Amino acid sequence: MEKLISKLTEKHVLFTASFAIRLALVAYGDYQDRTMAVKFTDIDYHVFTDAARFITKGESPYNRSTYRYTPLLAWMLTPNIYLNMVFGKILFIVCDVLSGLLIYRILRLRGLSSESARRVCSLWLLNPLPMGVSSRGNAESILAALVLGTLLCMEGRRLMWAAMLYGLSVHMKIYPITYALPIVLTLRTPGTTEGKDNQGRRWRRFIGFCGGFLNRELFLFASVAGGVFCILTSFFYYMYGWEFLHETYLYHLTRRDIRHNFSPYFYMLYLTADSRWSQWLGLAAFLPQLILLLVASWAFHRDLAFCCFLHTAIFVSFNKVCTSQYFLWYLCLLPLVIPHLSLSIKQGVGLLLLWFAGQGIWLCPAYFLEFEGYNTFLLIWLAGLLFLIVNCFILIQVISHYKPTHTPKRPKVE
Amino acid sequence: MYFVLFSVLACLLTCHCVVENGEKDENHCGFLKQWLEYTSVSVEISNKGFHREVVNTVELSPDVLSGVRVLLVHRWPNGIYIDPYQLASLRDHSDWQILLDSAIDLEVPAHKTSGFVTYLYPTLDEQTPNLLKVTIPIHGRYHEPSFVGKTSTSVEIQTPELLLRSKKCTQLNNFEPHTVVDAPCTVDNSSTCPWIKIQHQQGRGHVSLQFPVGDGSLMKPVCGGTLLVTMICCAALSKLMWKHQIV
Repeated sequence: MEKLISKLTEKHVLFTASFAIRLALVAYGDYQDRTMAVKFTDIDYHVFTDAARFITKGESPYNRSTYRYTPLLAWMLTPNIYLNMVFGKILFIVCDVLSGLLIYRILRLRGLSSESARRVCSLWLLNPLPMGVSSRGNAESILAALVLGTLLCMEGRRLMWAAMLYGLSVHMKIYPITYALPIVLTLRTPGTTEGKDNQGRRWRRFIGFCGGFLNRELFLFASVAGGVFCILTSFFYYMYGWEFLHETYLYHLTRRDIRHNFSPYFYMLYLTADSRWSQWLGLAAFLPQLILLLVASWAFHRDLAFCCFLHTAIFVSFNKVCTSQYFLWYLCLLPLVIPHLSLSIKQGVGLLLLWFAGQGIWLCPAYFLEFEGYNTFLLIWLAGLLFLIVNCFILIQVISHYKPTHTPKRPKVE
Repeated sequence: MYFVLFSVLACLLTCHCVVENGEKDENHCGFLKQWLEYTSVSVEISNKGFHREVVNTVELSPDVLSGVRVLLVHRWPNGIYIDPYQLASLRDHSDWQILLDSAIDLEVPAHKTSGFVTYLYPTLDEQTPNLLKVTIPIHGRYHEPSFVGKTSTSVEIQTPELLLRSKKCTQLNNFEPHTVVDAPCTVDNSSTCPWIKIQHQQGRGHVSLQFPVGDGSLMKPVCGGTLLVTMICCAALSKLMWKHQIV
């Protein structure tokens, strides 16, 4: 068994096999689309392709209803129209395998042996979930590759590249903006007053703390990332106007999807959609997310990969809208965390099963509501709360059993 | 003199042709009027939940008549919507084409939008069949929560208007009790034509759909419960993260 696993995870075999399996899935998907009533390809892929078609005719991609992404994605998919519809899917599976390679490189930089690194990144490369998502035509793998690329460059201290990739990833989807907090904390000059001069005046420490943010590296990162983001945004605003800003960014920031989804806030937002408390409740729903992101940034900024994983997991779990697509945002970072977890295989599998059970408990009443017409709103609400509790429990286990790469000073645990 | 005779004969021949065509037209219109008496349309709903199918059954006369075009006009309520992209993907497998009168927002709740009209053109062979079955997929919108304890809300789908026209009958002034209305000639909406709107003796019926709605009377406990659980989770996670921070 051991020999089989080592054979399978040999570098060339692993990456080739994972690409081949994804390619086979794309081919099968094409066959299923042509012959069966239930389609393999995700509806999003048709949205991207329709938007790309509008671009080839010289029109705005936002003419396609529900296209809520950057025009860059539609531009990248124009070969779908000029060459073959399958181009986009090939691009997504290449990014998917590239993400696996980036995970491998980051793990090596963090001190793992080649064999262990390969075994861990096979958790992504041979995982049916990202395989299915990319081969069905979702663009999540592009963002996974960009985020992992940013982390790799940060680990290797190649700040220019990290900043460019980071600016590009924020342009493509908003959620990586939350990584700005730990990145800024990582790049600042560590305060000389920290831990040493506890009797020093508070204001002096505060000034010292603020002064730590004024350094060359941080300035370089902020200007390059900000520059890339602003250039892309201005260019597309010039081309497509207000509609681009609204559909790509503002819609996601103000999105109040009252239809059922995994979010614990779903039923509350549905019932209060037209009440005068709606705005206040929206703000109240945002507070836990904000507080947790601030605490996570401060507590774990020294281990950027772990911090980003926590950030994304918290962001998704406490968000006002949560669909299964969002899970990939933190699943691509999980392989970076796993080598440092002191959980046994049994405990790990137990947590995984618990996560799936939480989703299953939600999916049951949701199915009966959507496809059978039963009024299961209350059950869906309770299942949503339960899923949040399950996610928090899993995060608590991960944080409690995490051993960082280097052995920094940790405060005494009571 | 021969010239005059020749002109008179030519004139008479032309008049005869025109009258004959007119008579043919009249004959055809008369035949069409009789044919219309045997038409009827009914509607059923299949599937459950938020994704349904509207099955329109159109019965036409068993007599064979060629060149007749059929149009079904649906006036949909705000409680449901049709996905134009789903229709586009079904185009290759369906024997009808549909024209929507306005853009459709797929995500807005029912009370924030209004109904819409669709024109459905079944693809017919030259010989009009005597039974047509057309299935349209529809989706329910989310409705306002109920504050009076109702667990579902009712949406009524009216029987569609059945419109007919024939290329061979152009004089549509004698089709009482049916009326003549203008509607797009074909699905590309490039021109309008006069159509005969069939009036059914039993009047237009409707079918009712039920969609679940949220319980507005639970607003306070739901808000309270949600905020309590999220705050507790937030506090627990924050405390743990602070305890395990990496300095």
